[in-house]
Amino acid sequence: MITEIQGSWSLILGVSSGFGRATARALAERGGNVIGVHFDTSDGAEAAAKFADELRDLGASVHFFNLNAASASTRSEVVSRAAELAGMQGVRIVLHSLAFGSLLPFVPDEQDQGTISPRQMAMTVDVMAHSLVYWTQDLIAAGLLTRGAKIYGMTSAGSTQVLNSYGAVSAAKAALEAHLRQLAVELAPRGVAVNALRAGTTLTPALEKIPGSAAYADQCRARNPHRRLTEPEDVAEAIVLLSMSTSSWLTGNVIGVDGGELLTA
Amino acid sequence: MSENTTTALDLDELRAIVADALELPKEEVTDEAHFANDLQVDSLMALEIVVHLEKRYGIKVAESEFKELSTLLQVRGLVESKLAGGK
Repeated sequence: MITEIQGSWSLILGVSSGFGRATARALAERGGNVIGVHFDTSDGAEAAAKFADELRDLGASVHFFNLNAASASTRSEVVSRAAELAGMQGVRIVLHSLAFGSLLPFVPDEQDQGTISPRQMAMTVDVMAHSLVYWTQDLIAAGLLTRGAKIYGMTSAGSTQVLNSYGAVSAAKAALEAHLRQLAVELAPRGVAVNALRAGTTLTPALEKIPGSAAYADQCRARNPHRRLTEPEDVAEAIVLLSMSTSSWLTGNVIGVDGGELLTA
Repeated sequence: MSENTTTALDLDELRAIVADALELPKEEVTDEAHFANDLQVDSLMALEIVVHLEKRYGIKVAESEFKELSTLLQVRGLVESKLAGGK
């Protein structure tokens, strides 16, 4: 059955930039309410507060938390607040779009920028992959993931390809896809659909932090069959569309939202 | 290091904020404990410290500034200079 977004609640992890931000806007434009988690210092925090106000102007109920989405205390606080806000209706959409990782090489290179430490490796995979599992556990425990709910995790071509400085993030993306598969199977009896969205190369703040990303983006633009890069709004539209179905039959996939970019790699 | 009487910044309060951000007992955050080497602080925990400090003291800390900090005493130096400069 196809339903409207209007009146639903979504939980967006990584709401202040990139895919999370675009998706929050797309949902709010359709009357969806948004609970968002972001983690920003001063200027970013102010921008996020302003963004929340813009969404409220669209008529949505919006609650942002400037907290570390990888910490247990954040999950506890946000999930209990979500239970108060969404109540029996639960959370329709969960989007995991957390980009916080180490971009150091595994072995020394010419730039002599150092190599990744065990601590930074563990942090990267914990934030960008494992945290999804813990959020899901807490949401299930709170009774907030009901039949028809959707879980999305943002992956990239880096889950199967090698990019300079992307080693730890690549591992995190591979782990995230594995977690999403596992959750798809474990949540199928509950009627909850779980999918990875493999966005094409997108000029998000997260991408711009990757050394050499500008040149890489140019190559991707040239080879993308659409001759442009992915925009955050492309992903937001896919999420809105997929979430309007109450079915959980479309589950356990890695769905390319890249204009065909991977086909010509 | 002796207390600087011209500032109101309470080192123990600062220690509590850092310990809270790191989810460590206060006693472990000694004045000279090295964040990365002694307290296993990663870049996300470092961001926790900054966000806590910004909220508590109403200051703005750039990422480049925080990368230079590795002990509680250095954090105090930074916060004090921010508070002085912000007046």
